[in-house]
Amino acid sequence: MASLIHCPHCGIRPRQEFSIRGDASVTRPAPEASDEAWHDYVHLRSNPRGRHQEHWHHVAGCRRWLVVERDTFTHDVFSVTDGAAVAREGGR
Amino acid sequence: MIRTYISHHPLEGRIPLEPGIRAVDHLEVPRRQAIVTVMAADGEETAVAAALSTMSEASLRFVGPGEWLVVSQSETPDGLVRSLSLVLADTAYVLDQSDGRIVLRLSGPNARRILAKGVAIDLHPSAFAIGAASNLLCGHISVNLARTGENEFELIVARSLAESLFDDLRLMGREFDLSIDFSG
Repeated sequence: MASLIHCPHCGIRPRQEFSIRGDASVTRPAPEASDEAWHDYVHLRSNPRGRHQEHWHHVAGCRRWLVVERDTFTHDVFSVTDGAAVAREGGR
Repeated sequence: MIRTYISHHPLEGRIPLEPGIRAVDHLEVPRRQAIVTVMAADGEETAVAAALSTMSEASLRFVGPGEWLVVSQSETPDGLVRSLSLVLADTAYVLDQSDGRIVLRLSGPNARRILAKGVAIDLHPSAFAIGAASNLLCGHISVNLARTGENEFELIVARSLAESLFDDLRLMGREFDLSIDFSG
């Protein structure tokens, strides 16, 4: 697991300060979407070997949700962005 | 006289009444301190930051984007809340935390070496400037660490964790003969 995360608000921090929610690439379907779409969203997750986007919460720091793009195999961290900024970008 | 839970300092049982010999590295525990959380309303972050920077009698501690702890030794908690509410009006939410947080002030030439045993950030003077502050983990305890002087740091910790953090700090400072006393 990536051990140092560059929080955009707090600087370089150890992973012990964070809690991980999981895949950040899935988007919530519309309320009236099909059962299959909701099933996919709620239950199905890929388990990639390589680049992966995840929601991390900086619990012991700024208490912001971050989107961390990292490699699950090499432990490299490619980018860390504030969750609110990512949501705005995606028009959510 | 009835003494309420709040009027009792959580470290009273741990700090001896007779102050010992003060060493170069010293942990000072202020008995009273006004601590107030300020959270900026949505979109008002820069306005609130600008307004807070004009307040000279209180010290500002960064917590997260749009969120600060304001600490004052001279003002009472009520007075600080009142003056902050006047300055910030509707741009921010102001909440008194004085009863729920404890301040520990660590000073001395070895303060960084003591803190480095529990804290995982770069404490070098060039990386952590005077006035800088951040929420972080000290061991397993979440604290707000601020640099308040050349070799002086302040830790703000939840009241319920003050005793644990105090014991940790005492252990971390033992090799430097850290002395401990109440102040104020």
